[in-house]
Amino acid sequence: MLNGEAQARFSQVVTPHLGDALALARWLTGSAADAEDVVQDACMKAYAGIGGYAGGNARAWLLTIVRNASYTWLARNRPRDIVAVGDLNDLDDMSAAHRDQPPESESPEASLIAKADIAALEAAIVALPEPFRETLVLRDINGLSYREIAVMLDVPMGTVMSRLARARGQLMSDLGRAR
Amino acid sequence: MTAHRDGLPEDKVEMTMMVHALVDGELDAATALAVERRIAADPELAAEHARVAALRVAVNKLPKPQPSKAFLDRIQAIGGTDIQQAPQGSVLPFRMPSSQPRTERSRWGWSARSATFDWRALAASIAITAVVASGATQWVMTGTSDDFAAAVASGHRRSLLAANPVDVVSSDRHTVKPWLDGRLGMSPPAPDLIKEGFALVGGRVEVVDGQPIPALVYRHNEHLITLVAQPRKGGEATNPVDRSADGFSMVSWSDRAFAYWAITDMERSGLDEFVTRFRAAAAI
Repeated sequence: MLNGEAQARFSQVVTPHLGDALALARWLTGSAADAEDVVQDACMKAYAGIGGYAGGNARAWLLTIVRNASYTWLARNRPRDIVAVGDLNDLDDMSAAHRDQPPESESPEASLIAKADIAALEAAIVALPEPFRETLVLRDINGLSYREIAVMLDVPMGTVMSRLARARGQLMSDLGRAR
Repeated sequence: MTAHRDGLPEDKVEMTMMVHALVDGELDAATALAVERRIAADPELAAEHARVAALRVAVNKLPKPQPSKAFLDRIQAIGGTDIQQAPQGSVLPFRMPSSQPRTERSRWGWSARSATFDWRALAASIAITAVVASGATQWVMTGTSDDFAAAVASGHRRSLLAANPVDVVSSDRHTVKPWLDGRLGMSPPAPDLIKEGFALVGGRVEVVDGQPIPALVYRHNEHLITLVAQPRKGGEATNPVDRSADGFSMVSWSDRAFAYWAITDMERSGLDEFVTRFRAAAAI
């Protein structure tokens, strides 16, 4: 691919999704300033790999690169925050075990959830275990489909659905609690 | 619980997920209708549906990060440079005056302002910052092959800093070679030298002088070796020449098909051994 062609493609494919890229990196790294460095790193990879972009959802394509860059960044800067793959499977088991618990007697109220202030919601998202947070952000903030998330995370769609339901359940319970 | 005959799960947790899927617009019309019927008949599901919808309202209120002007400049400097103004031939990424201030943010500034630097220079600037930070001196080179050496070096350094040193991860030459072939229509020999202590990690595409060229990445203990292979049209094979500088060991040599550039942060002796092994394996 010629340089100019690659640059035109890069602007067309990557630039519209920078806001989403920053949002994902921010929620994965926990810092808006670090997110810029991570996204820049990802964009350099995206530029180099633009020839391999075969069409399809450009946002999902870019976010996959951003996600990888985020974890590389985390591994380098905060090795202790990384959840190993083994832990991730444990987490799924854990979430399966939770299913059998009876529902809380006081169910969170929809009206309280809708009125939650931004700080409380952000704190609740930060408190989510990493795989749940990642799935929630990809769906509810980045707007990817279940299938796109399943492909990106390399997990079955059922796992995406269960993580998402669990993440939202946690948020709803945090926000729906009368304060 | 009475059995429904709508094909939906009876399990409560699974049915909850179907409610989420309904809110997310993931269901086809028939399934969506069936889920809505269940919701209408089940107050618990109805409450969950209301909560999920309420959460969506809350999440939509979260401020979306907007890329700042400065950040957009940084990104556009990667791909948006006017190539008409870029110097023809090699861009020397290391031609930065030593008086250039290198504060944390200003390192991006010059890339964005100056139309003569393309993304490779931007990439290299990260490497420069890293090298400067480590107290090493700048790598200043002139002449065609040295420009190439500088570009190869910057690619290697960038790969050490970037998300992933390789674009295709595989220790299997039968994966790496077709991957490079598919992208570039050519690939260098890619022997796995794991028995000799040099494991093939994968491959990537480097861009040097605006030309995409194949690069292989090998690992030796904790060190990565980048091997860039520039295709050539015939010519005599040449023996390894030392091009080490600036804390990196670099050796170049060529056979009839490719000019090779191997760079690493290992000791020269280790790199020499790699080059010997590679040449022996590639000659077969």
